[in-house]
Amino acid sequence: MTNKKCVAMLLAGGQGSRLGVLTGKLAKPAVPYGGKYRIIDFPLSNCINSGIDTVGILTQYKPLELNDYIGSGKPWDLDRSNGGVHILPPYQGQKGGDWYKGTANAIYQNLGFIERYNPKFVIVLSGDHIYKMDYSKMINQHQNSGSACTISVMQVPYDEASRFGIMNTNPDDTIYEFEEKPKEPKSNLASMGIYVFSFDKLKKYLIEDENNKNSSNDFGKDVIPAMLNNGEKLMVYRFTDYWKDVGTVDSLWDANLDLLNPKIHLNLSDPNWKIYSRTSALPPHHITDSAKVENSLITEGCFVSGKIDYSILYENVRIEEGATVEYSLVMPGAVVKKGAVVKYSIIAENVTVEENASVGEEPYYNNADEWGIAVVGEGLTIGKGAKVGAKQMITENVKEGEII
Amino acid sequence: MRANAVSAVIFSNSNDIALKELTENRSMSSLPFGGRYRLIDFALSNLSNAGISDIGIITKENYRSLMDHVGSGLYWDLDRKRGGLRIIPPFITGESQLNGFADISKRAAEFVSRLNSEYVIVCESGTVANFDIGAFIAYHIEKDADITLFYRKAECADKFKNTIKFDIKNGKIVGAVKANRSSESGNYSLGTAIFKKSVFLNFAEFSKSKKSEDAFLTLISENKNNYRIYGFEHKGFAAVIDSRKSFFESNMKLFSEDVRKDLFNKERPVFTKTRDDMPTRYGIFSDVKESLVADGCIIEGTVKNSVLFRGVRVHKGAKVENSILMQGVEVGENAVVRYVVADKNSVITANTPIKGTKHKAFIVKKNQVL
Repeated sequence: MTNKKCVAMLLAGGQGSRLGVLTGKLAKPAVPYGGKYRIIDFPLSNCINSGIDTVGILTQYKPLELNDYIGSGKPWDLDRSNGGVHILPPYQGQKGGDWYKGTANAIYQNLGFIERYNPKFVIVLSGDHIYKMDYSKMINQHQNSGSACTISVMQVPYDEASRFGIMNTNPDDTIYEFEEKPKEPKSNLASMGIYVFSFDKLKKYLIEDENNKNSSNDFGKDVIPAMLNNGEKLMVYRFTDYWKDVGTVDSLWDANLDLLNPKIHLNLSDPNWKIYSRTSALPPHHITDSAKVENSLITEGCFVSGKIDYSILYENVRIEEGATVEYSLVMPGAVVKKGAVVKYSIIAENVTVEENASVGEEPYYNNADEWGIAVVGEGLTIGKGAKVGAKQMITENVKEGEII
Repeated sequence: MRANAVSAVIFSNSNDIALKELTENRSMSSLPFGGRYRLIDFALSNLSNAGISDIGIITKENYRSLMDHVGSGLYWDLDRKRGGLRIIPPFITGESQLNGFADISKRAAEFVSRLNSEYVIVCESGTVANFDIGAFIAYHIEKDADITLFYRKAECADKFKNTIKFDIKNGKIVGAVKANRSSESGNYSLGTAIFKKSVFLNFAEFSKSKKSEDAFLTLISENKNNYRIYGFEHKGFAAVIDSRKSFFESNMKLFSEDVRKDLFNKERPVFTKTRDDMPTRYGIFSDVKESLVADGCIIEGTVKNSVLFRGVRVHKGAKVENSILMQGVEVGENAVVRYVVADKNSVITANTPIKGTKHKAFIVKKNQVL
């Protein structure tokens, strides 16, 4: 095995419970995004574009669809004889085995995998964010500064800072304190969950963390504070481009519709930094004579005969004549039949919205808290003429004429 | 049947001359079709979907774009350790170049004779169809045929330039003539045949002595009594690209949902090289009707009755009607494009009107700026 400068470890075991029914059958990193992508395409494409060709994917929750999607890693050019992509589920050893107890424990259990490549650095990534980032710049900064760990951060508005893990820094960007969701934030540098470690330090602290019975084996809660207490040099890496956490229904919807916002530059087919995905073999989409399409993204395999505005249609979606889709995401294989109306909704894979049914509502501006994006779970049917209100999370078929 | 019992050869330059504006820099097999495909995708996918992976592509000239497209055969699942896709470039031997099946068979024979297959499928590359090759092979074996050929029953509305018309009695092909712009209804060849390997090698030998372009036609007429030659009817959609007109019209036929359902059959998908484009973006002023659009386009103008390949850009106020715009074509603001086939990466600049006619589409050449 040749040595690698940097190995990436991608934490993809998260359930993503705040996405509710959207992660009922699949792990969060496998959630579809942007018409033809899945969330995990972003860290994987960033890796290969940054020159990192060895990636361990740590899976745990509902891995079937994710494993299938990753396959040999070919779509990301990560099918390598030396390196490449490796799925790393929890395993049994001679002394027994265990589920991954926390993010740090997941990496700890796979130190053997990392050691095969004898890397100088390890980059720890998560599968919950939409962003294009050149990790090699971050690794360079880490190397040049001689840090033990470098954590990428974004400036967030102070009034939102208490939702994030916040890095409190000295003027030279070294970190003196990490606070998880502070009530009164001292800084607005939010951790993006991307860590570069020098491998020797990572190994040392992971072993110590594993031996500490009181630890919850989490990078943010345990490992980073332990390193700070021991006086290790930790630095922030400042990132200023587009980055969005897609951990909630609203943020997933937002991050998708950001692709339609001309003020946001998120070009996923930029030849210098393409986002790759596994695609099925589908013909171009067909827009018929009765269709009206504006300000939307539509991908291959779709059939569009209705009215589409400000929406994203994923592969093989069928919108029949007289149907309307506005401000919505319609995921692969879903069908919206004649006269049905879908507004401010996320329609998951293979859902059927029957004739004249309606899903979702326009925002109630006078009662904003009661309003939200409606979500229909994978494979469900919304019966003829049924009505699903705003903010509903549909987990079972809705009968004809039913009002929810 | 054991793996690799059937091998295949594809002739990549069929009818190149018929479409010379579009095949100047490429072979017929790499001619773009249907918004994101190249003609060879249909033959490769048909073979791959039937589990055939020992495939040789016989090239003649201008095969750089073909090699670029097929690469190692990955997208058709043909990058194999055992067998797989091989491109067979011409030998420079000083012999005069042979055409048609004579040329195929000569080089194909060398390729095939090294394989362990018992049957050989020969495909021309101008045919657009989703063939059930599995059923075709089964029929060939069931009839204990020496040669079986795909054909379709076509109505008199179709006019074929170079296609062969079969005379079929009780399933057997008892005669063949060149259709020669015939407009009669009948049984027309779809340029795809299966041979017993020994028969194929004999045929190759036979073709060497025939200078004719239609060694295959000659073979049938001269040997119909020596060989068991059967026809196998393809009942689904099929188009044979042998002229500018058939190229244009066959693309437009894809607007029919029934045609698409048949050609892009879910059980037997048509594979092609992927480009990793974003989905197509429709702008605020876009007005698109009855069109096929591949990924990666940005549409801000009007598009009607047209086929847009990947990465096409239609700017504000531009009007595109009854046209085929290949990969990376750009139509500038307020340009008007009617009955046009615009080849890859060509540009129609702002305010320029380019118009062909219903009977003769205007062809904008690759990289041309108008």
